Amino acid sequence: MVVRSYNEELKYLEKINSHCWRIKKGFQPNMNVEGLFYVNDTLEKLMLEELRNSCRPGMTGGFLPGVKQIANVASLPGIVGHSIGLPDVHSGYGFAIGNMAAFDMSDPKSIVSPGGVGFDINCGVRLLRTNLSEKDVLPIKEQLAQSLFDHIPVGVGSKGIIPMNARDLEEALEMGMDWSLREGYVWAEDKEHCEEYGRMLNADPSKVSLRAKKRGLPQLGTLGAGNHYAEIQVVDEIFDKYAASKMGLERTGQVVVMIHSGSRGFGHQVATDALVEMEKAMKRDKIEVNDRQLACARINSVEGQNYLKAMAAAANFAWVNRSSMTFLTRQAFAKQFKMAPDDLDMHVIYDVSHNIAKIEEHVVDGKVKTLLVHRKGSTRAFPPHHPLIPVDYQLTGQPVLIGGSMGTCSYVLTGTQQGMTETFGTTCHGAGRALSRSKSRRNIDYKDVLNKLESMGISIRVASPKLVMEEAPESYKNVTDVVDTCHAAGISKKTVKLRPIAVIKG
Amino acid sequence: MDEELGDLTESDFILPPIKYEYLDHTADVQLHAWGDSLKEAFEQCGMAMFAYMTEMAYVQIREVHTIEANADDMIGLLYHFLDELLFLFSAEPFLICKKLVITEFNTEEFRIVCKCYGEEFKIGTHPQGTEVKAITYSAMQIIDEPKDHKFEVFVIIDI
Repeated sequence: MVVRSYNEELKYLEKINSHCWRIKKGFQPNMNVEGLFYVNDTLEKLMLEELRNSCRPGMTGGFLPGVKQIANVASLPGIVGHSIGLPDVHSGYGFAIGNMAAFDMSDPKSIVSPGGVGFDINCGVRLLRTNLSEKDVLPIKEQLAQSLFDHIPVGVGSKGIIPMNARDLEEALEMGMDWSLREGYVWAEDKEHCEEYGRMLNADPSKVSLRAKKRGLPQLGTLGAGNHYAEIQVVDEIFDKYAASKMGLERTGQVVVMIHSGSRGFGHQVATDALVEMEKAMKRDKIEVNDRQLACARINSVEGQNYLKAMAAAANFAWVNRSSMTFLTRQAFAKQFKMAPDDLDMHVIYDVSHNIAKIEEHVVDGKVKTLLVHRKGSTRAFPPHHPLIPVDYQLTGQPVLIGGSMGTCSYVLTGTQQGMTETFGTTCHGAGRALSRSKSRRNIDYKDVLNKLESMGISIRVASPKLVMEEAPESYKNVTDVVDTCHAAGISKKTVKLRPIAVIKG
Repeated sequence: MDEELGDLTESDFILPPIKYEYLDHTADVQLHAWGDSLKEAFEQCGMAMFAYMTEMAYVQIREVHTIEANADDMIGLLYHFLDELLFLFSAEPFLICKKLVITEFNTEEFRIVCKCYGEEFKIGTHPQGTEVKAITYSAMQIIDEPKDHKFEVFVIIDI
């Protein structure tokens, strides 16, 4: 790592406009392209403060700030366009969280990196609508929250309740949501409203270690811990009436359910295994990177191909996982309201992945190119008329689901043409942490958080008490700042604002 | 992985002092462990990880399992050691460890054999702490300076 003073570092950063900064070559060694990051005034301060804190030569136990990581990613072989930081960017593993980078598939030197996907492969958000109004839910809100908490296994050490054996798992890994459909856990139309129709076709369970399968089996159909959650929310504000009505969101006060979860221990192990394999491949192919965490392999190498096939299996696992919880959510609602989920109109509005690598076609310097797009802590946001988005959203653009932090709001955005050109159809994914977990625990009081949530009318069920502080809204960037930046920068468009009334967390 | 159920002696129940802490990291948590030897720092680092998953006061020593880790260098060894421990928790036997004793610490062939004392993690018995997704090489440091009697490790775990 280059150690320079903070003021010298700033010379490599240039503010292009009110919402976008450029990272010039030289900020980190060997940059092939420049970096870009999107921030508003508030987020800018957080971003630069993280950089300032790291400019202390000789300190031990430190970590790389997000802006440095974006620049390191820009040095990877085969990268095209820019290494992009979205407004919720913060320091992550190798890649920043809130980072997008695309690699030219036709360049034999291009790489795939598990760090560019993240440990929680195909972590994502799903939104279910209902035809209920807030006033229908309020009288039984506590019971409903408890019922959801009882139905969905949450937190560290929890085990799935959907019956599964090793053979079922193999099939689920290969088939993704087609498995869930065959087993009767989802509706046929649910698939239509998922990226890739809930199934990556190149998944190959034989490329997944036994270790990953052993970790995955007991955890299928569990929510997880940390920032994962299931929330009952209501429509708070509609910005784009037409797009919202295409999603079946007609009025403020309408009740929806948001599920944020990923591929659990299965995906974590696939990522871990791939990192170990790729370290060896890097030595063999003499790939030099700025940071050991940026372990990668050429896309066309055995390791690269194996990873993409295993990653696809993990992506399928995540879709089955979210589908299993969709099933449990529908059951919980059906029991409380004594109505069938069908009659409650509990359709999937959309399901996004915010930790994934995908092969996509984009225009680079006026030419159509096939790229491997890594989105880590960032969400695909395709514009209207894109062939890969469902027919229902052809005119509105792809719905993008942005989960807020506990007790704050969430958003539904839609993709734009400008985003397609500037960021290869990518936008933010959530709030992004501002305070470290230990700082949150020291500075925030458990009771204060609960009282505050209660005064806001939010019911809460959390498996781990210390998570209450770690996940308190104060620990995160303001999701509204993040979303407003994306909207102002034009890389996605605000459609609906959602407000939570009940939170279920690990 | 051998199991020695019911084969615990009294000395197995003596708990080591705590020589670890959790440091600030924006999204994840950084484990900082130390000891009178590098071996002890490794053991402490493993225990720090388990202590993040639950409250140790609720964990009892009821069984012991043995894990083995191999690598090509010291950094890799620390990584694989913690990864083996995480696997012990994440799949059968779902072991939450209160105490770790490294019985073989080979810094030439980079090999660790470790006895892991604890019990099966059960919701209801053990408070749910934070889930550890993975071990990372991120800013991993091993400080091994025998002449200053300085043995420390830093590991960021993904949560």
